[in-house]
Amino acid sequence: MAIKVPKDREVPFGAITPAPVREQELFITSNWRAVRPVIDHEKCTLCFTCYIACPEPCWSYNEKEDQMEWSWKFCKGCQICIHECPADALTPVPELDFEDGVFRLEKPF
Amino acid sequence: MAKVTEITVWTRGVVMDKEARDIASAFAQAAEMEGKFIQAFDNYEDLPDRVFVTTRKYARISDEEIEMKYLYTNNHPDVVVIVEPTIIKGMNVLRGMPDGGLLVLNTNRPIDYMLRFIPNADVLGAIATVDADGISGIRTVDFSGSEGGVDTAGVGAGIAAPILGAMARVTGMVKKENLAKIISDVAAMERGYNEVKIQKFRKSRAEYFWGG
Repeated sequence: MAIKVPKDREVPFGAITPAPVREQELFITSNWRAVRPVIDHEKCTLCFTCYIACPEPCWSYNEKEDQMEWSWKFCKGCQICIHECPADALTPVPELDFEDGVFRLEKPF
Repeated sequence: MAKVTEITVWTRGVVMDKEARDIASAFAQAAEMEGKFIQAFDNYEDLPDRVFVTTRKYARISDEEIEMKYLYTNNHPDVVVIVEPTIIKGMNVLRGMPDGGLLVLNTNRPIDYMLRFIPNADVLGAIATVDADGISGIRTVDFSGSEGGVDTAGVGAGIAAPILGAMARVTGMVKKENLAKIISDVAAMERGYNEVKIQKFRKSRAEYFWGG
């Protein structure tokens, strides 16, 4: 994604973001995560507590599948959803157990 | 100008910040006790560090006076130390590393498993792992804003001690007797020195010694 800014009016990285969009392609924070929340759809009661508690927000409702959906791109691994889930449907799993699911950056922003 | 060995320590902001700073500063201090010229300093580019953000600490060791005064990042790190192993999945930690460098990881997983997360591992001369969380497991979590500066644990406590012991053995740049004079958790440092696992990929260049 490239936003053309005149040379004399350059601003710091992230000062201009396109809105409204569902996902910003800047500030992908998945590499902050050391622990990933894994949902058990059998236990999930669709109470939307994770949707309310998530500061990002990474949890959304998928109407087609009738289940909660997790965004791997922006989850920072704060584990608030795991702590708040009343049905114990979320478990913390170390990120290194999975091969993928993290956006690899060249250097920190 | 003589060869300057650049050491970059990657860590997570706030929760493992003090441990990484101890690694950079104590390792450089131990080298100074052996008559080397040193520099050790905190991150500048990555500030402000937030919880779990990847941040860096730097150390430089040389036989002659270091003339890189105004460079505040290690652009060509010879040794990269990873305090929290998940960082290798989301960051190109070997960026700018010269051929045959060393990677030190704090993990209890096998080396072959960790290598699948490093697509550019062919620049490495050796990789070493030490289970610092299993040996010590203590992290100085401090939200007061002093970033561990006023805590009573002392320099080199917690997970910093086993990683320092592993670095002393694998790099061969400092003696563990000198490290023991600086850091507080000497027993954990000895365990890290003895329990480090190393895998060498090829014959390193003449200026490198990645022993074990």
